[in-house]
Amino acid sequence: MNDMSKDKNIDIQIYNFAYLDENTKRMIRRALLKALCIPGYQVPFSSREMPMPYGWGTGGIQVTSACLIPKDVLKVIDQGADDTTNAVSIRKFFQKTANVAVTEKTSDASLIQTRHRIPETKLKEQQILVYQVPIPEPLRFLEPRETETRKMHALSEYGLMFVKLYEDIAKHGHIETAYAYPVKTNGNYVTDPSPIPKFDNPKMNNNPAIQLFGAGREQRIYAIPPYTNVKSLDFEDYPFEAMKANFKCSICGSSDSYLDEIIVSDDGKRSYICSDTDYCKEQTQLNSKEEDQ
Amino acid sequence: MMQDFLFKASNISKYYGQNVGCKNVSLDINSGEVLGIVGESGSGKSTLLNCIYGNLKVDKGDILLNDKSKTILNFTKIDEPKLRLIQRSDLAFVHQNPRDGLRMNISAGGNIGERLMAIGHRNYGEIREIASSWLEKVEIDVSRIDDKPSTFSGGMQQRLQIARNLVTKPRLIFMDEPTGGLDVSVQAKILDLLRNLVRELGIAAIIVTHDLAVVRLLADRIIVMQNGNVIEAGLCDQVLDDPQHKYSQLLVSSVLQV
Repeated sequence: MNDMSKDKNIDIQIYNFAYLDENTKRMIRRALLKALCIPGYQVPFSSREMPMPYGWGTGGIQVTSACLIPKDVLKVIDQGADDTTNAVSIRKFFQKTANVAVTEKTSDASLIQTRHRIPETKLKEQQILVYQVPIPEPLRFLEPRETETRKMHALSEYGLMFVKLYEDIAKHGHIETAYAYPVKTNGNYVTDPSPIPKFDNPKMNNNPAIQLFGAGREQRIYAIPPYTNVKSLDFEDYPFEAMKANFKCSICGSSDSYLDEIIVSDDGKRSYICSDTDYCKEQTQLNSKEEDQ
Repeated sequence: MMQDFLFKASNISKYYGQNVGCKNVSLDINSGEVLGIVGESGSGKSTLLNCIYGNLKVDKGDILLNDKSKTILNFTKIDEPKLRLIQRSDLAFVHQNPRDGLRMNISAGGNIGERLMAIGHRNYGEIREIASSWLEKVEIDVSRIDDKPSTFSGGMQQRLQIARNLVTKPRLIFMDEPTGGLDVSVQAKILDLLRNLVRELGIAAIIVTHDLAVVRLLADRIIVMQNGNVIEAGLCDQVLDDPQHKYSQLLVSSVLQV
């Protein structure tokens, strides 16, 4: 951190605020506005080369870059954790190029960039959640032609999406899709929620925060405005179920947060911990407070 | 009486640049009727079929369908969502190669269920039941419902494609060489199946083929095409037994007799 503050002045001179130039940010903001006007619709945008490879969140970073303002407080999570490589490098990137304040606390952040999770702490109005999206097209693995999938969205021909769920039940006896579980946004477009666990799907529904999705390699942006109806697809006789591992977090003891399974010894002993590190910390503090009393 | 037809195409013309796809073709079909379109390759049969199904844009002509509620729809005038809905519900298209008409990486049950789910079926148990009954109808062992079509033989794939198309009870089915590429005994089985299904369900069909035996077996009426033009049309037996045009005569006489 000390090195960073020493170089700070130089860095700000080298980079435009939040790395991207103003024209690019404007182009992305236009796409974002369009995306917010048509919830769930994938807006093409001309994705830029970023100083990191595709697959590291270049879409999310570009969206974040276009949204950041100097007084923002940024939080970056990867699989719910603030301290994993991806999260740390993206956070550092924006500290360096935008000099914005950062936090690990969900409730303090004004903009949260996420990979594969929605924070456990309830989001509120004025917050922006930016998702990193690898494949924005929920129909892609079912229909490889882009021309055809666009037409299917335009005409709401979503029979094929249900074929995928049908195949799941036929093969496994239940809907096996556990992440990137397709949703219908605002009763219209079928949308890929990015690879979040389906445990998080209900959190997207009627969320007060703005949810923005950026796919860098695929050059698409889409959005879910605040308080939008988001429904997970299902069958009448096989309704949608948000699921998680049926254990308690071995650090904070929470039984209602999404858990990561970790193998802790060579003979395969397992342990489960909250994937949301901030939530886990909070719960631990709460617990110790209760003990003190 | 004017409203009695099921499907009518008038003066259909389609050009590929300078080349003629088909020229001034008219045909009509009543419900439950089977129409055969025969001719050599390159005579415009498939172009015509794709035009009247709505897959290809025609340069000239009208395509009319008398839909379930007795309103006449003109394919050249209605918008695309409506046309695609009609294609999914009232019409069906069986391709020559089952690979074009099936999803090869999705189970047989899923293939049959797709059209149902596309028109709004959302009950897994029901979809599966309907899929099983259709597998039975096309003589595929129900135990193979969860197998992918890639593990099926050519004849089974074609029968699966037929089941997938008939499941939504269309009123008119378009077939492009449904038995092409299959060996003779399998062909006979498919033809037998088609004849039963078409008669039993009262579905009208337009069958494109170069195989006169197929039309003899299935069709009520035929039209003969050459270079994009219809050169002879009439009752199937009449045209095959007493061809008037010299090309039809050539076609009929060139069938090999065993």
